[in-house]
Amino acid sequence: MERKDVLEGLKEILKLIKPSLDLSTVNDDTQLISDLGLDSLTILLLSLAIENKFKFKFEGTLKFNTVGEVIDHIIKNAA
Amino acid sequence: MKNYFENMLPAEELAQLKYIPTIPEFVTWIENKWHDLPALSDTVNTYTYAQVCDAVARKRAMLNAMGLAKGDKVAIIDNTTVEAVEMFLAVTSAGYVAINLPAQLPAPAIVGCCMKFGVKVLAAGPAFIETVKDAPCKVVAIADMADQPAPVAVVDKDDAAAIFFTGGTTGAPKGAILPHRAIMRGSLNGCYAPGKQLGCHRYATVLPLSHVFGLIRSTMSVLYTGGLWIAAANVKETISKFPMIRPTCLVAVPGICEILMGLVKMYGKQFLGGNLRFIIAGAANVPPKLIAEFDEIGISLFAGYGMTEGANLTSGNIDVKERPTSVGQIYPGQEVKVVDGELWFRGDNLFLGYYGDPEKTAEVMTPDGWLKTGDLARFDEDGYMYIVGRIKNLIILSNGENVSPESIEEPFYKCDKLRDCLVKEDEVDGKMVIAIEILPRMEEFANTPWEEVEAYFKKLVDEVNATLPTTHRICKVTVRKEDFKRTGTMKVSRN
Repeated sequence: MERKDVLEGLKEILKLIKPSLDLSTVNDDTQLISDLGLDSLTILLLSLAIENKFKFKFEGTLKFNTVGEVIDHIIKNAA
Repeated sequence: MKNYFENMLPAEELAQLKYIPTIPEFVTWIENKWHDLPALSDTVNTYTYAQVCDAVARKRAMLNAMGLAKGDKVAIIDNTTVEAVEMFLAVTSAGYVAINLPAQLPAPAIVGCCMKFGVKVLAAGPAFIETVKDAPCKVVAIADMADQPAPVAVVDKDDAAAIFFTGGTTGAPKGAILPHRAIMRGSLNGCYAPGKQLGCHRYATVLPLSHVFGLIRSTMSVLYTGGLWIAAANVKETISKFPMIRPTCLVAVPGICEILMGLVKMYGKQFLGGNLRFIIAGAANVPPKLIAEFDEIGISLFAGYGMTEGANLTSGNIDVKERPTSVGQIYPGQEVKVVDGELWFRGDNLFLGYYGDPEKTAEVMTPDGWLKTGDLARFDEDGYMYIVGRIKNLIILSNGENVSPESIEEPFYKCDKLRDCLVKEDEVDGKMVIAIEILPRMEEFANTPWEEVEAYFKKLVDEVNATLPTTHRICKVTVRKEDFKRTGTMKVSRN
């Protein structure tokens, strides 16, 4: 799975969860909490949406700080 | 004459539901009443009431063999699991006092709790057994049980059954001691919901057992009605398995309801399994917008009011469409009155006091048994209750007048573009004024510059100010980009 495809997939989910986000600025270094403003409940929703789109399960909820870390994990675990 | 709640149930079901004052009697009753029905499931294995009660009886025997005396404390730490429910029933039906510890407690806090409460035995789930190995008491695996069953103990309805931490939005956590009669009254009151309830519901379980809402309404009431309680390894897993679990009912905090609505918007109603009829929402304010959104997809979202000291359930509202801001009518078994604006109640559901803290207990409980809730309430002409604020949060104005921040916050929650807000005192140019912090629903402001978001809410504040007495007007507005600090039940923390 190409890194840029995963990023695009992630952006699609983020667009649904937080339509107000300016997705053009989202990159590997984007912080989930301080840059995207995701709270613990939104992160739970994001975890469920990622699992549903990329067909794998996180252990517990998503515990990453940056978009790049999430992408790394998806590439490693997605089918 | 039947009351509001009794009218919800078919007559033949109402006749079967009696108040059972102690947990040992309850365990015996559910074993006989619902024997072969499915009771608890971890989504892989499902156990009947007979199997669960057998495991409970053998766990009782295991505990008895440890030399415990009646009233000794047994702490339980685990996720929301079948074994944790069985252990709670075993501890309390053997005459010991259960303390369900919050699963997120760090190891030093677990040790501190064991010392503070004089815990004799700590039952730990597999994910916790290593963390708690140095606890100052005996540690057993939560799955442990003896080969042979032990009978239930004889207890008095006023004996302590469990200690719950009161989280609350203000003040330090305290240990509220609930007697058998209180837990059982709360559990019975949780059985009232519209339509047939007995032996027919599947509950997806998403709340922790360390909270009264998770233990009483989300677990004990389910067992009272012969329902099937289902929990996967964690909340995320349970939600992701909704299409397989196909729950008919759910007990949840509003934050979880928001997540479910987010999933419905992304993947459609079928993501919830297709059978969900109603959600009991509580432990925080239920936004009318959420009630309306669930109503649109044919799911009723019922709100209510309760507190740990009153065994979870004091009032409930099924008429949310007509009265979306009410917390409903008062459940049976209680007397209520409003004293200087504050809600007081007493009844079977009242706690015994705060563990080791008679002063705090005396602050909230009168000598003749009334609990002073600290919540400001009013009733409408039809007996529906509305919570309008908390006494502890009162802002004392320079003119000596008391203002409840919640009463100022209330009109803001009618705005669909606002997620949460917090009114408090703040200093401006050396003078104390009323201030508000607002957290927007950012999804409502797609591609909107931040200045316009701020301007929108400043205009809203102006509009609300125009309806307030001049002394109550908000003088400082902050629109937040980051979430508020929240309590364990996702309420906005006022500390």
